[in-house]
Amino acid sequence: MGSLFRSEKVTLCQLFLQSEAAYNCVSELGEIGLVQFRDLNPDVNAFQRKFVNEVRRCDEMERKLRFLEKEIKKDEIPMLDTGDNPEAPQPREMIDLEATFEKLENEMKEVNANAEALKRNFLELTELKHILRKTQVFFEEAEYYTQAASNGPMTEESVNLLSDEGLTQGGQQALRLGFVAGVILRERIPAFERMLWRACRGNVFLRRAEIEIPLEDPVTGDQVNKSVFIIFFQGEQLKQRVKKICEGFRATLYPCPETQAERREMAIGVMTRIEDLNTVLSQTQDHRHRVLVAAAKNIKVWFNKVRKIKAIYHTLNMFNLDVTQKCLISECWCPVDDLDRIQAALRRGTERSGSSVPSILNRMTTKQEPPTYNKTNKLTGAFQGLIDAYGVATYREVNPAPFAIITFPFLFAIMFGDTGHGIIMFLFGLWMVVKEKSLGASKSDNEIWNTFFGGRYLIMMMGLFSIYTGLIYNDIFSKSMNIFGSSWNADIAYPGDMGNNVEKLMLAKTYRLNPNSTNWSKEPYPFGMDPVRLGAMSQSTFGL
Amino acid sequence: MNSVNFNINFGYLEGLCRGFKGGILKQTDYINLVQCEILEDLKLHLQSTDYGSFLANEPSPLSVSVIDDKLKEKLVIEFQHMRIHSVEPLSTFLDFITYGYMIDNIILLITGTLHQRDIRELIPKCHPLGSFEQMEAIHIANTPAELYNAVLVDTPLAPYFMDCISEQDLDEMNIEIIRNTLYKAYLEDFYKFCSTIGGSTTEVMCEALAFEADRRAFIITINSFGTELTKDDRAKLYPRCGKLHPDGLAKLAQADEYEQVKVVADYYGEYKPLFDGAGTGPGEKTLEDRFFEKEVKIMMSAFMQQFHFGVFYAYLKLKEQECRNIIWISECVAQKHKAKIDSYIPIF
Repeated sequence: MGSLFRSEKVTLCQLFLQSEAAYNCVSELGEIGLVQFRDLNPDVNAFQRKFVNEVRRCDEMERKLRFLEKEIKKDEIPMLDTGDNPEAPQPREMIDLEATFEKLENEMKEVNANAEALKRNFLELTELKHILRKTQVFFEEAEYYTQAASNGPMTEESVNLLSDEGLTQGGQQALRLGFVAGVILRERIPAFERMLWRACRGNVFLRRAEIEIPLEDPVTGDQVNKSVFIIFFQGEQLKQRVKKICEGFRATLYPCPETQAERREMAIGVMTRIEDLNTVLSQTQDHRHRVLVAAAKNIKVWFNKVRKIKAIYHTLNMFNLDVTQKCLISECWCPVDDLDRIQAALRRGTERSGSSVPSILNRMTTKQEPPTYNKTNKLTGAFQGLIDAYGVATYREVNPAPFAIITFPFLFAIMFGDTGHGIIMFLFGLWMVVKEKSLGASKSDNEIWNTFFGGRYLIMMMGLFSIYTGLIYNDIFSKSMNIFGSSWNADIAYPGDMGNNVEKLMLAKTYRLNPNSTNWSKEPYPFGMDPVRLGAMSQSTFGL
Repeated sequence: MNSVNFNINFGYLEGLCRGFKGGILKQTDYINLVQCEILEDLKLHLQSTDYGSFLANEPSPLSVSVIDDKLKEKLVIEFQHMRIHSVEPLSTFLDFITYGYMIDNIILLITGTLHQRDIRELIPKCHPLGSFEQMEAIHIANTPAELYNAVLVDTPLAPYFMDCISEQDLDEMNIEIIRNTLYKAYLEDFYKFCSTIGGSTTEVMCEALAFEADRRAFIITINSFGTELTKDDRAKLYPRCGKLHPDGLAKLAQADEYEQVKVVADYYGEYKPLFDGAGTGPGEKTLEDRFFEKEVKIMMSAFMQQFHFGVFYAYLKLKEQECRNIIWISECVAQKHKAKIDSYIPIF
């Protein structure tokens, strides 16, 4: 880790790329990730840069991909993520990708529109079915009351409004009551009732019943609770008013036949239509599912490809276009030790684009301070991240990270200091390290797990050091241990205190041990602190 | 409510509001925006501001109405978040702010119904902050009395309707009178509520509401020249919580033409400079623009004090002004007519 002692030497370079080769070279440089570009057009607006159209096309592609991803997630299809790194596609492949996405998006939109229309139809039929069932109850109740009433005195409430008795009771010979039946969201019923009562001055009669199962809203797909209602009124004006109010509260009205026989016929017709619709609906869903499954196989790869294209064009926007020589110029910071790799990447890029003119990398001298670059591997990366969280070191300053690899876990262990728990921690870290390939491949969304997994080496070392300090503290699973036997003896008491009087010793609550006595094993406790301290009165405050 | 205990209940929301205020577009943003050639450029630039990718999921080509809707949506989400997390008296305060939008929505729906528009066409045009349950059933009413009895009596706007109930039918002229009467009652109620809160809120809000009241008085007067509105009716529409009350309002009620209004304004130090040099000639700002400028100034100074509710009101007004600015610039860009593109009101 000699190179971790200070940050790498970084130099400013000038890059001359031929216009045809520029895309591929930047792509190769992006893959090795060793170069930091400087923005040579800081005063130019985002939308006045050279490659802004390509960036816009990438934005459009990403939007289409996001739409597809949302649909895939809605259907809970798992998206295949192999974790491999697709190469950035060539500019001419971008057109193919765009065409593919466009086709997929249009197909999905069409399928969605069809499904929505079908679902709306289905919803209407289901609501109609419920209405027919529930209004049956309303009319039946009214019938029951008339039966009971004909045996006893008639009261106001028990009169069936729609039968001839009711009408003659009310004194209206030839006027029939009209009614509308419909379905409304359950949450809107109180306000609906109140407004009906107010607007019609109490001259309408509302009965309602809840639909037990939630129905699916065709547009959003949410499950909503609805209720069936039926409103009785008299006269045309009230009917108009009632209809307007229903429209205002987004209640859907359905034609409901008056007689029971008609209702039963309608119910049967509705059931058959519902079954037919069900089959069509399930077929549409299958088709949609097939399209989405096919898309889900590739969607992660597509996302990566589009993002790479976008990144390349963002970088190219930072370049300076030299019109006379038809090449792109840029300035970048490169680590001195890796200049060979960068040259190799540039050569690969020029070859791939089939251009004859090689790309040129010139070192420049400058008075500006280069950026700090620390080469880390997976072990040192966690510690470097820890140090950088407090502040990034300046260029070529001594890097605290290599020291922190030892000091941080050790200081942690001093505070932790338990052998048993240290073993558990060490084994947990060891398991994460050994299984890091498979655990890293399953990209989890859980933030806490990702934090632990990112610090697996840290945890392993903290556990290891904690075992050591736990042995020193004589602590295992928060219980004290005495492995080698204490070097102190109870008869090392102060002269004049108790001497060798064993009975007095046993009855005493506390006694002091004399360190100057000759009666001891002449060898200190071999490893760690002497367990005699665990019997001392000051035990709880010591060593914590 | 004093500054010592303010943060217990309202500290989070005030901090949030100030954070939102920090995201308001600066002068440099406007300079970049006026250089756009097409609407997609605007979208690209707005991505680097606090607005982020709010237009990211809209298919191109963009239109100005889409931008308008999305801007409003973002503002509504922020406001709803603050409203949901607030406790008394802040929740009542924020509710008061929404009553203004409710009045606008009611008037929009009634006007639309008068012109035989389908209610479902009109609902998306309503401002989301001012929506209430009974809103969609407004079209059943034919007279103000019906409107009150059936629809509005359950809403918080019921007490403002006292002066409006008449048996006349709802028609064009009366609708404007109803709007202004409602708004007058609402402003005065809001003013009274803010006075009871005390502390810096009273200071800041009463100044803001007084300016709003005076502005409405001036605009009503100027707009009523040449209409059938009598002077008495006009005097009934002036909100009385501003600085013009009572003398200025009495004079304004007598005014017959623009010059007389200007004379009234000359008596008041704050309003004199607004009328000087205002006009519709080239290079001059219109009176409305000057009123907007003054409003922006008052709202900015509301942020100078801490521990009061005025920041929420001020933030909403400033954000609305910003939306108006962005839409103005978008329109100029979309129609490729950049002559007056600089007539937006700069905020910072």
